[in-house]
Amino acid sequence: MGHRLSPDAIATLLSNPKPDSLSDIPEIIVQITKLEPKGKSYGFDANDGKMKIKAIFNSRLSSEITSGNIQNLGLIRILDYTVNEIPSKSENYLIITKCEVVSPAPEMEIKDEIRKEEAGIIFKPKQEHEIKIEVKKEPSGILLKPKREMATKSAAQIVHEQHRNMAPTARMAMTRRVHPLVSLNPYQGNWTIKVRVTSKGNMRTYKNARGEGCVFNVELTDEDGTQIQATMFNDAARKFYDKFQLGKVYYISKGTLRVANKQFRTVQNDYEMALNENSEVEEASNEAAFIPETKFNFVPIDQLGPYINSNELVDVIGVIQSVSPTMSIRRKSNNEIVPKRDITIADETKKTVVVSLWNDLATNVGQELLDLADNSPVVAIKSLKVGDFQGVSLSTLGRSIVQINPDTPESNKLRCWYDSDGKETSMASVGSGLSPSTKSGARSMYSDRFSISQITSNPSLGGDKPAFFSIRAYISFIKPDQSMWYRACKTCNKKVTEAVGDGYWCEGCQKNDTECSLRYILVVKVSDASGEGWVSVFNEAEKIIGCSADELDKLKSEKEGSSYQLKLKEATWNPHLFRVSVAQNEYNNEKRQRITVRAVAPVDFAAESRYLLEEISKMKDSP
Amino acid sequence: MDTSKPAIFVNGGLLPMHVRKRVRTVVQVIGSDRGAVIGKSTDDQQLSVKGTPPSVPLTNFVEVIGIADSEKSIQAEIWTNFGDTFDTYSYNQLCQLANGECQLLFL
Repeated sequence: MGHRLSPDAIATLLSNPKPDSLSDIPEIIVQITKLEPKGKSYGFDANDGKMKIKAIFNSRLSSEITSGNIQNLGLIRILDYTVNEIPSKSENYLIITKCEVVSPAPEMEIKDEIRKEEAGIIFKPKQEHEIKIEVKKEPSGILLKPKREMATKSAAQIVHEQHRNMAPTARMAMTRRVHPLVSLNPYQGNWTIKVRVTSKGNMRTYKNARGEGCVFNVELTDEDGTQIQATMFNDAARKFYDKFQLGKVYYISKGTLRVANKQFRTVQNDYEMALNENSEVEEASNEAAFIPETKFNFVPIDQLGPYINSNELVDVIGVIQSVSPTMSIRRKSNNEIVPKRDITIADETKKTVVVSLWNDLATNVGQELLDLADNSPVVAIKSLKVGDFQGVSLSTLGRSIVQINPDTPESNKLRCWYDSDGKETSMASVGSGLSPSTKSGARSMYSDRFSISQITSNPSLGGDKPAFFSIRAYISFIKPDQSMWYRACKTCNKKVTEAVGDGYWCEGCQKNDTECSLRYILVVKVSDASGEGWVSVFNEAEKIIGCSADELDKLKSEKEGSSYQLKLKEATWNPHLFRVSVAQNEYNNEKRQRITVRAVAPVDFAAESRYLLEEISKMKDSP
Repeated sequence: MDTSKPAIFVNGGLLPMHVRKRVRTVVQVIGSDRGAVIGKSTDDQQLSVKGTPPSVPLTNFVEVIGIADSEKSIQAEIWTNFGDTFDTYSYNQLCQLANGECQLLFL
């Protein structure tokens, strides 16, 4: 290029905003960028390689632009100008009254001549967009080819040529500036990301007040392991559904970001992305080596409570306490048999939790864990669903990843803790410790609060699937002559049957045991200010009665039955917070409401008072 | 339950409205002065509680029931230890409600 930009041209212009005569003006050459029509004239950003200033051509010069003489990205020598200040914005703008073309559009916006000499590998993202704007203006233009080659081609020809000319794309890929997912935000739109599709949802159709449509989403993971969910509707969905393939890597730009709806998100990201028809998705070739590092966001076991029954998946890390044999579970939905294995893990919070491994994880990884179990290995698991079986339970999904003894700082920390303290400490299951005072229980005991009559007076509750509520109530009656317990397997807590000969047989574990434990299963009557109802309780009854089922049974079988009666009496008229599920059962062709206690917690009177005060103020607001 | 001598729930700010009436309040014991117990009310005001405290030592929070003999003092007849921790915020709200919109529920 014969001509170069005048160094600090813009500073020069600003220092002499209103030159007295033409001879006053030194040699000023600037590049035109972002050329766009503004009414009768054309506006642009004048670039001197270091700075830019907003500018506008005098309307007399418009014909020069429409004829193609003055081009975007071209260089002009400014012969006459004025610099004005916009008072409200304290910004300057340049009015070009006379100029001459020095050079037509080169291939790029000029930035810091030095960088350009370094083979121009590092292009700013804007550059891409500069050229793209060009393309849009041309009836038929090909990326990166000089504007002169403007033959009229059919759309099919252009697309074909684009596919053939992989070189430009590859060059683009090398020189494209990729942003890490973690840096994206809704306020900065010029980004390109390089991501692998780690999950692809099915195309769903929907109907709402505004009409019909289709939608699907994908989960994207970048090199750092950050994940984000991207959603596409209608045209965009149709455009990209086949393009996105699970496991492949893509360059994506021109999506929009918005704050993620906590209720529906599955990945740990405050934002979620939407792609529309203008978004760009380009497959990255030769990216087999691009393997996103599995990024974990561990949740300590004692903080799993808030995730119960939510859509959000969690990652955990813990030391193996026990590994069960493989169990075969029959899926209710299609009668299929799937393998399952339960492992119990513990972490520094001194709590344990059961993780159910399904399918391949149960058979392969599970077997590995069983073999290593005596060494108490550390296991890190990603993407688990949190359920409420026995208080808190974790379950793997198709996309879950299990790593045994990973070489990471968290794993080493856990190993250190276990070898020094952990081994000896007595741990409690996180499920049995749910109470409002710990973070885990707080949310469930204060959310979906109902009164007993609100439940009993509404027979349609829990029709499709069980509905969950929390209630505060008193135990009003425990029938002394009901069978309070069932015989349970010491390993998996399932019901055992008396074996032929001695001992008990467990169907789940497929083995015999001479001993079994007794676990509570009973109904109790509860009352609150609104009414009363019967609820079923399982082993949570320990918290109500104040002793284990084994101990209560001992009291019952004592010759003098009074200590048993006393124990039950002492349990009566105590207040508790209950988390209950309400479902419908059919009994003799009649639909019956069944209320089951899922968790029991003591009443925290201070917290309860505040809750009541809130309810009182809500009553004041509504008529 | 003896309902013959009802007492009005008060805090420091409400006490002046009920001078010469029977009141009840919970204070945090902060000291004693010339035979009276100095307490901090649930709305952070200093009140003086006269009378004979029980023989057992007072805990951090005490409920006193008696006649309000001035805007800042109570002649207590009944003292009840309420322990070392107490949710003063909730009690304060209770006092507001008991003297305000829910008055009719209390007396």
